Amino acid sequence: MAEILKVESLDAWYGESKVLHGVDFSLSAGEVVTLLGRNGAGKSTTLKSIMGLLPTRKGSVLYRGEQLIDAQPFEIARKGIAYCPEERGIFASLSVRENLMLPPKVSANGMAVEDILTLFPNLRERIDSPGTKLSGGEQQMLALARILRTGARVLLLDEPTEGLAPIIIKQIEATIVKLKELGFTILLVEQNVGFAQALADRNYIVETGAIVDEVAAADFDRRLSSIQSYLGL
Amino acid sequence: MTTIFGIPMALLYAQLLLGIINGAFYATLSLGLAVIFGMMGIANFAHGALYMMGAVGAWFMLNTLGIGYWPALILCPLVVGAFGMLLERFVLRRVSHIDHLYGMLLTFGIAFIVQGIFRFWFGSAGLPYAIPSLLTGGVNLGFMFLPYYRAWVIVASLGVCFLTWFAIEKTRLGAYLRAATENSKLVQAFGINVPVMIMLVYGGGAALAAFAGVLAAPILQVNPTMGAEVLIVIFAVVVIGGLGSIKGAIIAGFLAGIAEGLTKAFYPEASTTVVFLLMAFVLVVMPTGLFGTKTQAAATSVSLPALAHESAFMRWALFGAMAIGLAIAPLFIYPAFLMKAMTYALFACAFNLMAGYGKLVSFGHAMFLGTAGYVTAYAAKTWGLSPELAILAGTASAAVLGLVAGWLCTRSSGVYFAMISLALAQMIYFLALQLPQTGGEDGIQSVPRGALFGFIDLSNPTTLYLFVLAVFLGGFLFLSCLIRSPFGQILKAIREHEPRAQSLGYSTDRYKLATFVISAALSGLAGSTKVIVTQIASLTDVHWSMSGEVILMTFLGGVGTLYGPVLGSFVVVAMQNYLSALGAWVTVIQGAVFVICILTFRRGIVGELITFVSARQREKDRRGIAMPAGSKVVTGT
Repeated sequence: MAEILKVESLDAWYGESKVLHGVDFSLSAGEVVTLLGRNGAGKSTTLKSIMGLLPTRKGSVLYRGEQLIDAQPFEIARKGIAYCPEERGIFASLSVRENLMLPPKVSANGMAVEDILTLFPNLRERIDSPGTKLSGGEQQMLALARILRTGARVLLLDEPTEGLAPIIIKQIEATIVKLKELGFTILLVEQNVGFAQALADRNYIVETGAIVDEVAAADFDRRLSSIQSYLGL
Repeated sequence: MTTIFGIPMALLYAQLLLGIINGAFYATLSLGLAVIFGMMGIANFAHGALYMMGAVGAWFMLNTLGIGYWPALILCPLVVGAFGMLLERFVLRRVSHIDHLYGMLLTFGIAFIVQGIFRFWFGSAGLPYAIPSLLTGGVNLGFMFLPYYRAWVIVASLGVCFLTWFAIEKTRLGAYLRAATENSKLVQAFGINVPVMIMLVYGGGAALAAFAGVLAAPILQVNPTMGAEVLIVIFAVVVIGGLGSIKGAIIAGFLAGIAEGLTKAFYPEASTTVVFLLMAFVLVVMPTGLFGTKTQAAATSVSLPALAHESAFMRWALFGAMAIGLAIAPLFIYPAFLMKAMTYALFACAFNLMAGYGKLVSFGHAMFLGTAGYVTAYAAKTWGLSPELAILAGTASAAVLGLVAGWLCTRSSGVYFAMISLALAQMIYFLALQLPQTGGEDGIQSVPRGALFGFIDLSNPTTLYLFVLAVFLGGFLFLSCLIRSPFGQILKAIREHEPRAQSLGYSTDRYKLATFVISAALSGLAGSTKVIVTQIASLTDVHWSMSGEVILMTFLGGVGTLYGPVLGSFVVVAMQNYLSALGAWVTVIQGAVFVICILTFRRGIVGELITFVSARQREKDRRGIAMPAGSKVVTGT
């Protein structure tokens, strides 16, 4: 499979404190890959750093062979990488429709609004209510939905299951499976081992701002205990 | 003829109409201010200057370039909007990553520069601008005569208000704006060029201000200071509406205009103050204004400059050097200048206690300086009190005022705090202007200096100088001890992180109030002493520009440092004294110094010095040179 995103020795800083220490990994087109790790290991920071949202970063971020390390966040997004932040980032002053239509199209092959609403029927019913009047699960669906419209092919999802009920987690899981079928490449930050196992082709373990291990889906059961010890479970 | 409460109906209608017209200007101006605030978090002090640029620009276009009213109505906003975009791109953007306070202070400096330059170009006199021929004349409505131009003003500003509202609430670009107001980083991550958007927003706000300026040109006095006068009212309007709320700005604008008009009919003297009264009332009932929803997020605080280590000997040596220096200075420097500088220095030190150590930047501190001054002057002149008692009375009055104002102000923080203190100060200004005891425009003149404790004659220049020196040094020493005390430490803790200080069990509100009162009392002491020195209490000391000056002094010298405000005051007073021959340029230089200070050494002169020395100290420590015995790590020198 073709390598679509390659991150090499990525360092990042918050002010004077260094938070990423040489992150290395790659994504192939059509893969679902997770970043697993404890709280504060640097998973979300890695996603943010790929999007250029940290004040300082060094190293290499190649997207389809193009170097993005000096690009602005909006330029990175326009290349076709979409980001779904932790805690969903729904805009309170915007309606569901406005939230959905907010991200500009970055290529012509985004999903049609009609298809998106079929995928998330709850959103259709609440299309005109304010974004924050939605339940947590609906907000998560909206956060996913709004990056599908843009035509981005790589999705960076930050803990889409955080704080949600098991039944909603199942729905999100099904959605991600569907997105994989549709050919999206997905990088998923997770703490939920079961969720990761159900979805991922490969898993990277993140600790103290670096990738320390890689577990393929086939090895997941065999290595479950070491994964759990990484996560402190 | 019909009357209401003894006021003829016709007069009432006329004032109401006038109020609506003023309201139209207020709405258009506060709209731009609200948009800028919402997007950038900056209370744009340059807004008045941009408005003035619109009006004076229209005059210039007509009289020099022969461009008439209608083209100017389009051209002026475009030119001023472009100017605003340049300002944002090359000046404001440099401080966009730190506390919004610095952006606000930058616009403050910019306003000074623009106003000064325009005064140099166009003089201070009013520039007449004729009503465009299409709109001369008017229509008799039966109860009153409505000039066409005034009707046009209302229509035009309502139109612009609606367009802006529509663009922000109903269009895609508006959705970007609203989203970026909430979380600009995420909006960037969606592929939207937020920096360019911010530039456009500031340009748009500037264009709106200029549009109001051109509209105002034919009916209001066109002159370079017109912006400064209206700016303070506009701030109040935006706060009433709720900072950042578009709808709020429009409604509050018209509300303020109507309130002003009606007050003019019943009690004309109070018409300029009613807006501030309205604002104080709204804020007490609804702390975020009529349509404000969110309170400002806590901004990251810039840490106070502090030496890595410093000894008690060093502290006293510095203080001793300053005391001796000031004691022998009159041998070389004009004593009147030194006394003026010392009273300002005490004022700035008192302000710094709140702004630097408490991070409560007040824009109305002149009310304490001025009130104490008036009370002292009145006590000394009318009651014949001896100077120490008169000063005591002045200081006490400032402390009482501080208690009331502090109770109202410390319920909020950040920009709201600044605006409420400003509003209160405007009310004090109104009282100073209106009360019979204060002498209105004349102030209280030839205040007797009298004899201290009945036997130390203050009319002797040497004695007077030593007295002022003693007051200044006493106040300075008191403040430096206070900052070092447990009280000062808690204050710094609150400044860094208020919820954390609360969770440690401190009632932070009470500490803030106490700080406010102490700061007010010492400002009062400065004001009282100033009156004894200059023998006059006047409106300048309660005017908002005085509040601005103390901010300038403190930030220039170094906010949150002990000696910074002192140095800043001496520099500013020296500039005013020695550059006064340059006329309008003094304002420009003052503004430029301020802008340069914020852009290049925002810790202030003393703050940068401390940072430099501290870095060298750390470097030395790192190289393994033992710390000298008896020294310890201290902060906030």
